[in-house]
Amino acid sequence: MGTVEYIQHHLTNNHIGEGFWTFNLDTIVVSFLLGALIVLVAARLGKQLESGTPGGFQNFVESILDFVSTNVRDAFPGHNPLIAPLALTIFVWVWLMNFMDLIPVDLLPYLFQLVTGDSHAYLKVVPTTDLNTTLAMAAVVFGLILYYNIKCKGLLGFIKMFLFHPFGKFFVPVNVVMTFIEEVSKPLSLALRLFGNMFAGELVFLLIALIGGTLAVGAAALFWAPLQAILDLAWLIFHLLVITLQAFIFMVLTIVYLGMAHEEH
Amino acid sequence: MKEESTPVSAETAPRKHKPALNFLLLSAGSIFTSMIIAGFLVGYVIDLLLETTPLFLLSCGVLGFVGGMMKVHKLLEKMSLLDTGKAQKTEPKPARDE
Repeated sequence: MGTVEYIQHHLTNNHIGEGFWTFNLDTIVVSFLLGALIVLVAARLGKQLESGTPGGFQNFVESILDFVSTNVRDAFPGHNPLIAPLALTIFVWVWLMNFMDLIPVDLLPYLFQLVTGDSHAYLKVVPTTDLNTTLAMAAVVFGLILYYNIKCKGLLGFIKMFLFHPFGKFFVPVNVVMTFIEEVSKPLSLALRLFGNMFAGELVFLLIALIGGTLAVGAAALFWAPLQAILDLAWLIFHLLVITLQAFIFMVLTIVYLGMAHEEH
Repeated sequence: MKEESTPVSAETAPRKHKPALNFLLLSAGSIFTSMIIAGFLVGYVIDLLLETTPLFLLSCGVLGFVGGMMKVHKLLEKMSLLDTGKAQKTEPKPARDE
């Protein structure tokens, strides 16, 4: 397999169906499993809560809760009991999906190929490197933005926002198009930012993995093999920061956009 | 994290620079680009419906560009207003609509 085929193979989803009705099975299964993991761990922890001296894991989860609620307090103007749980879910779920990027790029696809017995079976294990995932999450946030816009401003207020913002009452057609573009750009920027960062990160991991993949047995391997290990470790450490930052930005921007939807004017 | 043990409610605390807005500023670039992309997308759909290609594609693209500029400018203006907490105490309030 050449380098181009190797990269293309790793960036192709295991899918069924054609055209619009294509289902990326690996994305769906992995994201569902990670969501189930969050639910299971939360349910298990919920049964074992200690009020006196909590254990290490409870402390860790409490620190995440504290961190998220501080951000919600900072960025969200009003009070809505949905926002903090939503923000927490987004942060943890996106972080876990991003974390799949840190698993060696060939490990899970290789195991999958062994299990299925198909040496060319596709498996892309990072759901956030699939634009469908990020767009779907952004679409849910967009739905909530619309819902709270109409709920807090009223249908009339919402229509007024479209008609008279940002150029005033003399440019109604331009205002409608402009506000529409502005609203559409919110989920688009959320989705594209996360997808772009994770896709680029995955690509760099693949390029580093190719150093080892193209090794010839000989003295040069003494140079290339340690180089690959060092580069991989360096990118992994840096990427740990990136995946956390991206999950955090997705969460904060969701809070900020929902906060804007709650503002009366 | 521990300094949060005696919480000051958001309502009673003095108005200060909100850290979450930094992240909105961090994403100013992607807001700008996504405004342009959204502009072209909206224009493309309108053109598809009205069969007027490339009239709305181009005009909405330009509108997206203008809107992106305005949005980033507004964001920076808001940030500079929040950022100069000290300046607001000593200097008179600038005459701005915000």
